[in-house]
Amino acid sequence: MVTFQMWLVSTFASVKPIGRMMHTAWGWPIAESLHFIGLSLLIGTVGLFDLRLLGVARRIPIAAMHRLIPWGLVGFGINALTGVCFLLAEPDQYVYNPSFHFKALFIVAAGMNALTFYLTSYRRVTTDGAPDDAPLAAKVSAAVSLSLWIGVIVAGRLLTFYRPFPCQPPEPGFLATCIPGFR
Amino acid sequence: MNPVFRWIESSALSVWTRESTSLLAYPAILSAHAIGMGLVAGVSAAIALHLLGVAPEIPTVEMRRYAVVAWIGFALNAVSGMLLLIAYPTKALTNPLFYVKLSLVAVGLWLFIAVNKQLEKWTSVARLWLGISLLASWGGAIVAGRLLAYTYRRLMAG
Repeated sequence: MVTFQMWLVSTFASVKPIGRMMHTAWGWPIAESLHFIGLSLLIGTVGLFDLRLLGVARRIPIAAMHRLIPWGLVGFGINALTGVCFLLAEPDQYVYNPSFHFKALFIVAAGMNALTFYLTSYRRVTTDGAPDDAPLAAKVSAAVSLSLWIGVIVAGRLLTFYRPFPCQPPEPGFLATCIPGFR
Repeated sequence: MNPVFRWIESSALSVWTRESTSLLAYPAILSAHAIGMGLVAGVSAAIALHLLGVAPEIPTVEMRRYAVVAWIGFALNAVSGMLLLIAYPTKALTNPLFYVKLSLVAVGLWLFIAVNKQLEKWTSVARLWLGISLLASWGGAIVAGRLLAYTYRRLMAG
């Protein structure tokens, strides 16, 4: 895994133009602002849809509420794009950051949870004449989704408190949470 | 103002928030502030998008049920924001952008309350303007808030 992390860092670092753009006076602040706007869009749409599945505002048809989701994807897209910019500009600050490992894990888990929902419950809860109350499986997906996205926010906010430093001996084990001494 | 700043900065709560190595101090407060932001700005954005024509099948008046989520977010941010201010009063209060942020939050909240008061009665022109101004005020508040980390002139008075 450490070898993979080192490969990731050197690959990301080789994309120079994004790094240069991010290190201009306004690059980082603008990307951060967009990242927080994307976060709000995602929570405001996906989060509210999750709450609807859990039983909030039952008089809104679930299918109607689902029409907000494309805007959650817009938010996610903004954040994926700005997130990649951060990653390419300061790769070792993320690839070796334990908080980033959790953030990435939570994002992947949230994606798999959403996929499960679409493969199992989606049609049942959005079909014409679907009952106001979502089945238990959909409620579980919604609760998992809410918890994971909140986890993503917290892990993202904690990144600065877990900044990796150059490794001291002994060298890292399976997953490096410090910057291995190379070159 | 310096004596006031110094007095706040030397208080036990300010010192703890700023200097404690506990995850429950600064890191937890910052996390709470980000979650609260997502809730209050996110719910406002959802209502604004609906007013602008997104998800027209939603009975508009029912969106009011989600207002409580925005208020939970706002309460979280009022408390966490106050703690962040107590930790670094000079940093915030000597930065003009901080007052811009507070004003944008005030406008955003005022619009949110006004919109929710009579959700079903807005004409299509009113929906358009309310939707745009809700998005603009909360988007502006987020940008101003984020820029506070880059634009302060003084960190502490002491």
